[in-house]
Amino acid sequence: MFQKCGIAIPRGVLVRTDREAQRAAIEIGKEVVIKSQILAGGRGKAGGIKTAETPENAAKIAQEMLGMELEGYKVNSLLVEEKLDIVNELYMGITVDDENGVPIAMISAEGGVEIEEVAKRKPGRIASNHINPLYDMRSYEAINLICQIGLTGEALLSASKILTRLYNVFTAYDARIVEINPLVMTSNGAMIAADARCEIDDNSLFRHPEWQDLRIQRIDNPWEREGVKAGVNYVDLDGDIALMANSAGVAMSLLDIIKDEGGHPACFLDTGGALSKERMKNGIALLLRKAKSDPRVKVILVYTSLVFSLPDTVAGGIIEAIKEVPADIPVMLISAGEEERRKQVHELLKDSGVKIWPSVEKGVREAIGIARQESRNGYIC
Amino acid sequence: MAIFVDKDTNVLIQGITGRLAAVQTKIMLDYETKIVAGVTPGKGGQTQFGIPVYDSVQQAASKHRIDASVIYVPAPFVQDAAFEAIDAGIKFMVIVTDWVPLHSEIKIKAYAKHKGTRYIGPNTMGMMVPGQTSLGGVLAPGVKPGGIAIVCRSGALSNEIPSRLAEQGVKLSVVIGLGGDPVVGSRMIDVLKLLKEDEQTKGVLLVGEIGGTMEEEAAEYIKTHFNKQVVAFIAGRTAPRGKTMGHAGAMIMSGRGTAESKIKAFQLAGVPVAKTLLEIPSLVKQMT
Repeated sequence: MFQKCGIAIPRGVLVRTDREAQRAAIEIGKEVVIKSQILAGGRGKAGGIKTAETPENAAKIAQEMLGMELEGYKVNSLLVEEKLDIVNELYMGITVDDENGVPIAMISAEGGVEIEEVAKRKPGRIASNHINPLYDMRSYEAINLICQIGLTGEALLSASKILTRLYNVFTAYDARIVEINPLVMTSNGAMIAADARCEIDDNSLFRHPEWQDLRIQRIDNPWEREGVKAGVNYVDLDGDIALMANSAGVAMSLLDIIKDEGGHPACFLDTGGALSKERMKNGIALLLRKAKSDPRVKVILVYTSLVFSLPDTVAGGIIEAIKEVPADIPVMLISAGEEERRKQVHELLKDSGVKIWPSVEKGVREAIGIARQESRNGYIC
Repeated sequence: MAIFVDKDTNVLIQGITGRLAAVQTKIMLDYETKIVAGVTPGKGGQTQFGIPVYDSVQQAASKHRIDASVIYVPAPFVQDAAFEAIDAGIKFMVIVTDWVPLHSEIKIKAYAKHKGTRYIGPNTMGMMVPGQTSLGGVLAPGVKPGGIAIVCRSGALSNEIPSRLAEQGVKLSVVIGLGGDPVVGSRMIDVLKLLKEDEQTKGVLLVGEIGGTMEEEAAEYIKTHFNKQVVAFIAGRTAPRGKTMGHAGAMIMSGRGTAESKIKAFQLAGVPVAKTLLEIPSLVKQMT
């Protein structure tokens, strides 16, 4: 991605075994740096980046790193890269400043360490500026910003060019954030992105279908992976009440009430407001499958607002889900909205075994009660 | 005039023939919102619930005076739809669509600001001025006109909470859903500035949630500039921490954005905070 936008990166080979690492080091023909490939920052500090002087040494380090756990991620692959002849290291990042709703570019004269640390210890070494999103980043904007960290001459021009190209990466890939850290200045004056990170906005994936599969593969929790496939926001927790709502705000409010009342949510599923029958079905079916495979789950609690959603969307989705994955635990529905629509939902669900509650407090207390009782007795359907 | 819109506001619906638009257009018509036209490219000349449909906003605007547009077009087309409304000189928009790309949101925000158009959303339930008009899907049974304004980030909560308050006899001046996304057209502070000048509004309920810095910013404003009573609620106090927080983003926020930081900011501004959804009515009633 960075290379395509004209940003130089070190020569490197992605490897999955120690023998591949050795071969890569021979191919590169000089000292190499071995970097664990995980989806988190701060890996250098955690021991996920090491230097190898010889190919044999590269193999040994690779053996140690593969399979280890770093920042909660298992290391499955490594990047073997040429070791750069470093004169100076910078930081460059672009993200969205949501207070103002505009992109903000940040640069620091202290590369290679976390930007948050620099911000705390040496705020004077950082410069930042907003960028008008209706235009591309202008060369003079980049120059004015980079001047502030003391670069001059050729270094100033090279760094400015890279910053405008980084802005192109940011827009071309619909990034929430792009970072080069460190941006290395070598002894022959080249500027190379030794490490970089790009976080793509999930909502933009329709413009980047090539990333959709990768996104799903990279989610570790299998249920959260299912959530993405089902088109819902799913967060796995470890309690006994499987919670779903058609709004993140309501789902969070229910989560708070459940916890305050001494209950334990098993998960948090938000279908989003503009509910379709299919999304409703997918959400409920996901919870039913989760309940089948996780004996800790004792009850499913669903909240839907009938303002955004029609009764047959809500009830139809539930019925279809139960048809697909027969329920062997209680399913409870709290439905808010016009009385007329609530009655229709009631009517549609009367043979489904789903219990309907008109109020949040009673619904939540009932769900907690069931969960507690089931933990003691085991549920008989 | 209440804030943004009132009973005389002429409304356009963009994407009027879509599924959700159909549901909510019905709700708005039932509330006697003055919907004068709809737009769906390729369906010009048709009607929806008796409302004339045009191929473009410009066409609609040449036949009708339009004060506000409610946008339902699918996420990939939202940026164009918003630019189209702005270019046609429409001064207020409600962008209902959810899952809108971040980069579309920042462009809409910049262009709207440049051209002097205000908006709420994306990813909002809309807004209602009780007894006057409703734009979007805010439908709170039993809500009567009065002095309390509700400003809410979450969609369904902008129905749940007004209904609860109505049951307790609380009367409302306005209900506004700001939208759940990080970059929205109007933040709490923007709405507070308008409510400060709104004679009908005597007190404000702010309904926030974890993430972003909107609540901290609002609390700071209330402390120094706001002259009416405010109570607040933050959803997600017990939610697990998000996983997607980027480094540069984390730095801008510098420790803000958690429920604790928001609750503390409100408390420092003298704003009582409801612990749960269930506590909101009693706090609000103390203002009236």
